[in-house]
This record gives sequence, C-alpha cells and structure tokens, in this order.
Amino acid sequence: MFTQQLLNGLVTGSTYALFALGFTLVFGVLHVLNLAHGAVFMVGAFAGLYTVTTAGLPLPLALLVAMLVGGLISVAVDWLALRPLRQRGTTEFGAIISSLGIAQVLMSAGQAVSQTQIMRFPFGTFPVVIYQFWGLRISLLQIVILLLSLMLALALLLFLFRSDFGRQIRAVAISERTSSLLGIRPGRVYFQTFFISGALAGAAGVIIGLAFNSVHFLMGEPYLLRAFVVIVLGGLGSIGGALVGGLLLGLVQTFSVSYLSSSLSDAIIYSLLFGILLLRPSGLFGKLHIETRVVRA
Amino acid sequence: MSGLTLRNVSRQFDGLLAVGDVSFSVLPGRITGLIGPNGAGKTTVVNLISGLLRPTQGTIHLDGEDISTIEPAAVARRGIARTFQTIRLLKETSVLDNVVAGFHCHERSSWLASLLGTPAARKETADLRARAAELLRQFNMLQYAGQAAGNLSYGHQRRVEMMRALATEPRLLLLDEPVAGMNDREADALGEIFSVLATNGLAVLLIEHNIRFIMSLCQELHVLDAGRLIASGEPHAVRAQAAVVAAYLGA
Amino acid sequence: MSGFILGHLSVFELVLVNGVLAYSQYIALRAGVFSMATAGFAALGAYTAALFAVRLGFPVWAGLFAAALIGAVAGLVLALPLARLRGVFQAIATLAFVQIVMSVGLYWESLTGGALGLNGIPKLVHPGHLLVVLAIVLYVLRAVSRTGIGRAFDTIRQDETVAVSLGISVVKYQSLAFVLSGALGGLGGGLIAYRNYSLVPEDFGFPLLIAALSFVVLGGRNAVAGPLVGALILTLLPEVARPLADYRLAVNGVLIVLAIIYWPYGVVDTVILHWRQRKAARAQAVAEVVP
Repeated sequence: MFTQQLLNGLVTGSTYALFALGFTLVFGVLHVLNLAHGAVFMVGAFAGLYTVTTAGLPLPLALLVAMLVGGLISVAVDWLALRPLRQRGTTEFGAIISSLGIAQVLMSAGQAVSQTQIMRFPFGTFPVVIYQFWGLRISLLQIVILLLSLMLALALLLFLFRSDFGRQIRAVAISERTSSLLGIRPGRVYFQTFFISGALAGAAGVIIGLAFNSVHFLMGEPYLLRAFVVIVLGGLGSIGGALVGGLLLGLVQTFSVSYLSSSLSDAIIYSLLFGILLLRPSGLFGKLHIETRVVRA
Repeated sequence: MSGLTLRNVSRQFDGLLAVGDVSFSVLPGRITGLIGPNGAGKTTVVNLISGLLRPTQGTIHLDGEDISTIEPAAVARRGIARTFQTIRLLKETSVLDNVVAGFHCHERSSWLASLLGTPAARKETADLRARAAELLRQFNMLQYAGQAAGNLSYGHQRRVEMMRALATEPRLLLLDEPVAGMNDREADALGEIFSVLATNGLAVLLIEHNIRFIMSLCQELHVLDAGRLIASGEPHAVRAQAAVVAAYLGA
Repeated sequence: MSGFILGHLSVFELVLVNGVLAYSQYIALRAGVFSMATAGFAALGAYTAALFAVRLGFPVWAGLFAAALIGAVAGLVLALPLARLRGVFQAIATLAFVQIVMSVGLYWESLTGGALGLNGIPKLVHPGHLLVVLAIVLYVLRAVSRTGIGRAFDTIRQDETVAVSLGISVVKYQSLAFVLSGALGGLGGGLIAYRNYSLVPEDFGFPLLIAALSFVVLGGRNAVAGPLVGALILTLLPEVARPLADYRLAVNGVLIVLAIIYWPYGVVDTVILHWRQRKAARAQAVAEVVP
C-alpha cells in the first residue's frame, strides 16, 4: 500500500514537475511570473487532442504538434503581453496582470472551440497495459509519463548548462545589458526561452490530458496554482528545484489524499506553500538572492 | 556625547571587507567631510549609519544612544536624514508633496483621525503643505511646487531631495555626493546652504569626490581607502599627507 | 434615468458590490502591497455574514459589520508574516491564502455546507444599503488619501528606501493596508452573501481574484474614483454589449492587457494626468505672456 502510494505520488509529481519546468524557466530568465503558462498548457492539450481525433494522426506526432503549437503560442504571449512592458522597463506587477489578461483570452478561445465540453482522447490512443510486480500495479502510461518528464527535465538542464544557447540564456538572466554588450541578442534569447517554455507546457498538456483522459478549457488553472507550490518548494527559477519540488508535491498530495482526506489535501498543500514562503522564501534548495524588505541587512 | 560617533565599525559582505575598523565622529555645528576613491566604502558607511546595513562589528551612537541595530525607519525618527547618491524622488508626485512627505515624523494625527478624516487631520495636512511651501520659498523653488518632481532639472531635483531631508528636522544630515554632476556655480550655491545649516547647529556629514568643494566647506576631513580610514583631521593638513595623495593619484 | 436604473437594478447592485471588492484590492496596491488576497477576504466575509443571518438571525448591518471585522482580523493575521515579504513573494503567499480559505470552505461541511454550499440566505441588501455602504467606503478612502496615511502609502509604493529614510515604518503601514483591504474584502463578501441567496466556495476562487485586480488596473490605482470606474466598465460592458457576453473572459483579458500596456495608470488616473498637464501648460503660457 505504502509503496504503491509512493509510486503513484511520483507519477503525479512528475506531471507537476513537467508543468512547472517552463514556468520556472521564464521566471529564471525574466524574473516575471508568466501566468499565461496554464493557458498555453491548455492550448497544447487541445492541439494534441485534435491531432489525434480530427486529423487521425498517431500520438507521438500529436505530442510534437502540441509542443510546436505550445511553443509558438508562448512566443506570441511574450510578444503581445510581455515584450511591450519590458521595453518600457515596467516591473513584475505589469507582467502578472498582462499575462493574466492574455490567459483569459486564450481560455475564452478554448471555451469557444470546445463549446465548454470536456473532451477525451479516443479509446486506444495509448495502449492499456498494466504491469504487476511485487504486489505493485503500474500502467505503461504511468511509466511513460515518469520517464518522459525526467527526460525533458534532463534535456532542459543539458541545454541550459552544456550548449551555447543555454549559456546565452543564463547570461541574459543575469544581466540583459551586459550580455547585449557581449554581443548576445536578448530578443533571440527571449524567443527561445518562451518557445522552450511553451513547448514543455504543450507536452505537459498532452501527457496530463492522457493521464486523466480529460481535456477542457479550464484545465490549466489547478496546474498553474500547483506550479506556485512547486517552484517555491524548489526555489524560484531553479530547473532542478522544479523537478524535485514537483515530485515532492506529488508525494505530499498522494499521501495526504490517501491517509487524510482529499478535500483537506489542498489546504495542506497551500499551507505548506505559505509556510515555506515565510520560513525559507528561497526554497528548499534555492540559492537565489531574495530581495527582502528594507530592514537592516 | 553629542553628535554621531562611530566606534570600530566594520562591515563584511560574504567575507569581503567593505568597511574595516572605522571610527570617527560628526559634531553638531560643523561639516565633516568623508572622501575616498571609488569603491572605498563611502556609501557603505552612509548605509550603516542610516540603518540599511547592520555593522558586523563596532557601534554607532547618536547623542549617546546606541543606534547600531535599530531599524532604518527608527534611525530616521531619531533624527538622521539623508540624501541619495542617485537622486530618489517620488517622480509621479508633485514637488510640494515630495517635501510634505518629509514631515512624516512630525505628524500628530492618529490613524483613526486620518481614517475618519477629522477636521484636525485635514487641518494638519493643510499646515504641513503650508510649511512645505515655506521651505520651498526659502530655497527659491516655490514656482515649481505643482510640477511632478520627475520633470525638474537635475540640480532642482537635488534641491528637492535636500528640502525633503530637512523637512524631517534632523539632528544629523548625511549628504551622499550631493553635488555630483553639477557645475561649480551650482555646487557652491548648494554649499552655501550647507554652511548655513551647520552654523545653525546641524551636524553634517558630507561625502564627496569633489576635493575643491570639500576643502572649501569642511571643518574636519576623513579619508577612506579600501574600507579603512587612512587619514583624519583638519582638511589642509589631511590633504598634505602622503597616503592621501597616493590613494587619490595612485602614485 | 431612474427608470433605467430600476430596469437594471440587479446590474446596478452588482456594480456597487464589485466596487467594494475593487477598493479592497485598491487599498493594498496603493500601499505597495502586492496582495491577491481580496477573494479570500471576501470568502471569509461572505460565509460569516451568511451564517450570522441564517443561524443567528442577525440584522443586515450587524452581519455586514461582522463580515468586515472578520476580514480585518484575517488581514491583521496575514499582515504579520507577509509584511516581511515583497513583490512576487507577497503575491504568491496571498494566492496561497485564497486557496487555503477555499479548501477549508470545501472541507468544513458542518459549517459551510462544503461543495454544496450554503443555501436559503435571505436577501437582506437592497440598493439603498449598497449606496450607503459605498458612500461610507468612499468617504473613508478619500479621508485616507488626503491625510497622513495616504501620504505614507504613496511614499512606500513609489520607493520603500525613501520611505524608511523619512521615518515611515513600511511594515506598520503595509500591515494597516492589509487590515483595511481585509475589512473591505470582508464587507464586499458580506454584500455578496446578502444578495446572492446562496454561496459555494468556488465563488471565491481565481476568477474573483482576477476580477478584483482587473477593476483596479483598468480604473486606476491612484485616484479614489478609479476602482469604481473600473468595476463599472467591466461589469456593465457585457450587459450593454450583449454579443460580448459570451466572450466575457476574452473581453476582460484584452482590456486589462491594453490597460497595463497603453494606459498603465488606468482610465481615471490617465484622464486626471492629462487634465493636469493641460492645466500646467496653460499656467506656463500665462506666465510667459505676463512675465
């Protein structure tokens, strides 16, 4: 029972981590919260679903389409809602409002397209295979979810820390001015950052849509709210932190649901978030410098 | 002992020594100068005194009271006012209201009176505006009262910042490079104001780059280099010291 | 005019209720507190008011007072830890508060009715009540704006370092802002309870939080009239332009994106700014003619 819950918790947690990766990437580079991330995730899920249902294409292709669409939508979000603010040098407040606004537009579009229905992947989109060993049950889908999330997180880390593009992104994250003096074009870096973030959201949309076999226009909201917990746990802007934070949150949620009550689980999760912000705002692993109030430092 | 006294004050940032073992006093009625090359730790000293930074070692006293660890707002209420190296005005707010903000410590209306908008609270606002206008008149700035502070010229913005600091009616005024970017004429006009303030009993700590300006104003001078005081005393005597020449000219 | 108002009484009431919620958001932002807690305060106020009326038979004013009080208390409790955080951390923490309140509302079935909510709440508020409440709120906010508290709030919002250098205690004033925001949010929640006949926890989630922010962003964050104008526009628009009602979300979204990018001061403050500049220009012109 315990081991089974542990396994379930890790699978749930890996979906949280997958969602949060792109969210924390944007925060790490631009130091703004992109609240349209949940809507981009929803659009990705829609794109993947329609690729399977309307176009009748196989799932791996749907995943790629979802990543492409997610990436492009995310870049559009940046262009329409965030870039104008950046050019004016306006701060974190504007970005939150603006990304919330564009999220509403995307959600409204999703609502119109889906006519407020909950949509499902057709039966057999993903083979139903259940493995049993040591008294544990795990489906092939769960294994794929777990592996895919870990792979994407690793790929992102490798990209950021081992490639030239990654180095440029990290340079801009530290200082846009200095890096542009060094010949890095910040515009390109922002494009890449948002594309990667959106592609990850799109992938998460398809995977989570499959896992719960439910795709609808409001699906982003609970994940966005969870993502706050994940990135605060792991430290804002930290990729590795998001991975660990996501897994941790999955465990906390699974265990609190199975041993306490499902409706209390949310209260516990958000109290955890609140507590961490107060006690350790840089997260469990973050070394991020936290600007605090004007008090003696 | 009256005035400001720093005793063996040190401050480290992640093991890096920004200010080391600095001791000096700033007496009422005099202008005390603090000079040093870029990165010598001058602004760190100002931030330590005004309460933005906590000294790693040493104590800071104002009129005999230890203020080394109290919160910055409390430091201001004890009577220490400052200007900033890069001007910090409320840019959207009018010049008059920028100065009115400086009277905060002297407001007497309770929160309840303010929430209820009692006649007394409204009268206090009117009185403070009148006092701010009077201050503007003294500094010959009354004609700009209604303008947004961000629209003023550089020199005028400096003056507004000064008036705001004076509105707190301080015992000690910290001036962090007040004439940076000004020409000699503008600087001297401001210097005259500083002299008058000191003559009226205010303790003034003047941080500057401009040697000519500081020599003409200060009664006492301290030289900071790499976080340590390398010379202190009467300005002309200090300037003659070899270490000071070395720090400034790199010779 | 009165015929129009009578015909649209329900919308008119909604504008006023939303106005009160907008002021809860406004007072926090005015003091530089990046709070998203208004929806949580409203939930506390709404359930308190509803329970007082249903279980204890309290009259309308007592119920509303209790709603405001519980909001203020929640604001005070939140303020103690949150005044230490800033920026996005404050925003995230207050968001967590909203979620905690909502999930407790779902969990504590014996008190709140859980997911089914509270039903059969008497309709106790009428437009007259709403007008009186809003008049009081406006009076207090105007008083705050014109006296010491407003000055301290404005200074903190624009530059915290300057504020402390002038002796303004940021923690103290931001705590006050939290308490005021809590009281107004609780009051707004109480009005919702006495107008809607029933309550469910989902009424007070993310959408309400976004609505409260939108009112202030669109209307303006400085002048006292701003939030009410924002609430008026965003509440009336779907009613006036019926075809837009289906795309309420999108209309709201487009408006706040445009507002934050092109009129960052909001409708009312932009108009005031423009008017002031013209006045200043005219004064300058007069001064040049008559040297």
